[in-house]
Amino acid sequence: MYRSFMMIIFILLPIYSWCATSTVATNLYPANLNGLKSQFQTAMKSFSDVASIHYSLAGIKELGVQPPDTYCNDIKKLVDKTNIESIYHATEAAKTLTNCNLPVEDYRSKISSTIQSDKSTTAEIYYAVRSSINLGLNIDESLIEKRLNTLAKTDDSILSQGYALLTGAQLSPAIAKYYADTINDLVQQADEIDGRILQYEGGISTTGLIFNAFYEVAEKAGTSIKIDPKQLLKFANYFSTKRHVATLRSAYYLTKAFKYISDNKNSMPIVVTRVSSSEVNAQNPSVLVSVTNLFGQPVGEMIVTAESAKRNEDGVVVISKQKLTSKSSDFTVYELPFYDKKISRGFYTIHLTLTPQTDGKFIGLTDHTIDVKVTSEVTLENVELNIVDRDNAAQIKTYKLTYPNGLSNNLEMDYHQKLIIKFQVKDKQTDEFIRVQQAFLRFTNKQSNKEIIYLAEATSGSNPQYKVEVDLTTNANDFRHQSDAYELVLLVGDALLQKAFSWKLTDNIQLSFHDDNVPDIDHLNIYSAKPEIIHQFREAEKRPPAIVSLVFSGLTLLPLLILLISWLKLGFNLSGLPLGLSPLGFHISHGAAFALMYFYWKYLDMFQTMRYLALVSIPLFLFGHRVLAILAARREKKV
Amino acid sequence: MSQLGQVVGILRKLNDEYQMSTPKKLKLIDAYLVYVLLTGIIQFVYCLLVGTFPFNSFLSGFISTVGSFILAASLRIQLNKANQSTFNVSPERAFADFVFAHVILHLVVMNFIG
Repeated sequence: MYRSFMMIIFILLPIYSWCATSTVATNLYPANLNGLKSQFQTAMKSFSDVASIHYSLAGIKELGVQPPDTYCNDIKKLVDKTNIESIYHATEAAKTLTNCNLPVEDYRSKISSTIQSDKSTTAEIYYAVRSSINLGLNIDESLIEKRLNTLAKTDDSILSQGYALLTGAQLSPAIAKYYADTINDLVQQADEIDGRILQYEGGISTTGLIFNAFYEVAEKAGTSIKIDPKQLLKFANYFSTKRHVATLRSAYYLTKAFKYISDNKNSMPIVVTRVSSSEVNAQNPSVLVSVTNLFGQPVGEMIVTAESAKRNEDGVVVISKQKLTSKSSDFTVYELPFYDKKISRGFYTIHLTLTPQTDGKFIGLTDHTIDVKVTSEVTLENVELNIVDRDNAAQIKTYKLTYPNGLSNNLEMDYHQKLIIKFQVKDKQTDEFIRVQQAFLRFTNKQSNKEIIYLAEATSGSNPQYKVEVDLTTNANDFRHQSDAYELVLLVGDALLQKAFSWKLTDNIQLSFHDDNVPDIDHLNIYSAKPEIIHQFREAEKRPPAIVSLVFSGLTLLPLLILLISWLKLGFNLSGLPLGLSPLGFHISHGAAFALMYFYWKYLDMFQTMRYLALVSIPLFLFGHRVLAILAARREKKV
Repeated sequence: MSQLGQVVGILRKLNDEYQMSTPKKLKLIDAYLVYVLLTGIIQFVYCLLVGTFPFNSFLSGFISTVGSFILAASLRIQLNKANQSTFNVSPERAFADFVFAHVILHLVVMNFIG
């Protein structure tokens, strides 16, 4: 039992993972070639460095525009003979022009010193080798190969590996083949995002460079590039998302990447996009799609089949396995008739698959989705405008209206009344009453152009009726009690309606409110300066007048007098006071302690006081002890 | 009327008893206690009249009187020969404690008076 369970896992797991990976949504877009072209052309107006010249001229040449030879002087002016990268850019730029010869002798020493040096990076080796080939110099292939091998051990960053591939592509086919075999390893090092995109750390310029390196080295080796089609699609997804790139370098490598994946020799991802409007109705009954490669070029005849068209709301399939018809001679545009009485309003997703009729290595033939919406025409039916008395529900004035006619006569309402508007929205095609996303009633004050908008709500159930009620007493605040002439407009709209309604029901309805006008909130002045806050210091607490304090201070000292008097009356035994050093010392130190308290209050802080107190308490303790001993002895003697 | 007369009679008797049986030393301390009490009352009345600002000064003054009262009262208890059985301290020791405690009390009061 355990074994069969394991077998089930081993069979189901790969099937599940295959299913999971095969549904890579291939929503590619054609490359923004015009954007790239204008980027190069803007850069070509003025150059500040030789790298920009290289990328712009080479880029524009890839897009089919031959740059004029006048740039040769710019190249010669801006090149820095001591920098191998600058030399590389100069030679590459010169190669794109028809007649631009650079002085070889100026660069020979720098190139050879770069190749000889141990400290050159892989990028510098590439620059040196490529410059040599562009200038027609000889290169020592075995030396280069040795250099690359040493560098591969010390620098394994992805960019260095890319440059190694590019260098290999400049050498003999045998060496190129060795590097071409490492392509798969490099692809594994790419980062996958969301299961849809493959990229390298470093963004578009690194990914573009490495991707180009794959193709260049495979081309030199004479082999076809061996990348898994799913992974190639993910790279294509990545490039497809780059509609605008910041640098010329990125733009150049992006252009080259697009060129390579649109080349018949290589596996080519197919791009399917909708070229008709997203809205399908009686006037536009068909959906038109274009089938091209990333460069926007035709790919030959294909059989395009709509596998299914599902309504997003409930998943109902309305079209199944229908072939699209070709509309153009180069087989780039195909048509699917969509509009049908049986297909109701809603949002639909169409799944397309392609079957190529010509030879070619196409990838991304399945899982193309097109989103469309089917709209319909509606009419407003049973429109009623009622003016009802608030207290007496029986008194109603009813006006029936038909679109697009408004009320011919003027209306007047005061605060005793309320306005009720009812209507229904009917789909012309199905004769059903429907609900819409927007149903509003708008009052516009004719003088101040202030708008007050109310929402019309639909009853639930199968035949919804919209109703909106405005009571001039309870809703008076919305109008700020401004009694004026107003304009009344009914607004009905929805994403699935072919046409929305903005219907002026009446040009002049006079509203009278009970209270006086309340002025509008001036929204323009919300951000004006507010009154300045001046910092208020805390007010000092009230103190009693000085006299009161002084009197009470005197009063507090009064009991001292009372004490002295009562002590005298009781017979204070002053005669018994011992005399001598110790008592004297005791009284002095005791007095000193209290004097210290006074000084503490006036001048000192706690730390100083503690120190002085410690000092004073030593004699105090000593003398006090002695005095008490004398008194104790005296008491003993008496007893 | 007779109730008031009774109260007055009791008080007079209390006073006579007190004058006779209390030793002089304790009477001196009692006079001191009354003095401290009066000082405290006057301070409290002042505070009621003019408000509690500055509150720390009022507190320190008031606590000084309260603390002195308590220390003097405890000195009286300790010196009272009738309590000799409960307390086993000599009068000198009691007085020394009294002085020591007062020094600390005055330190705290002076700190708080602000």
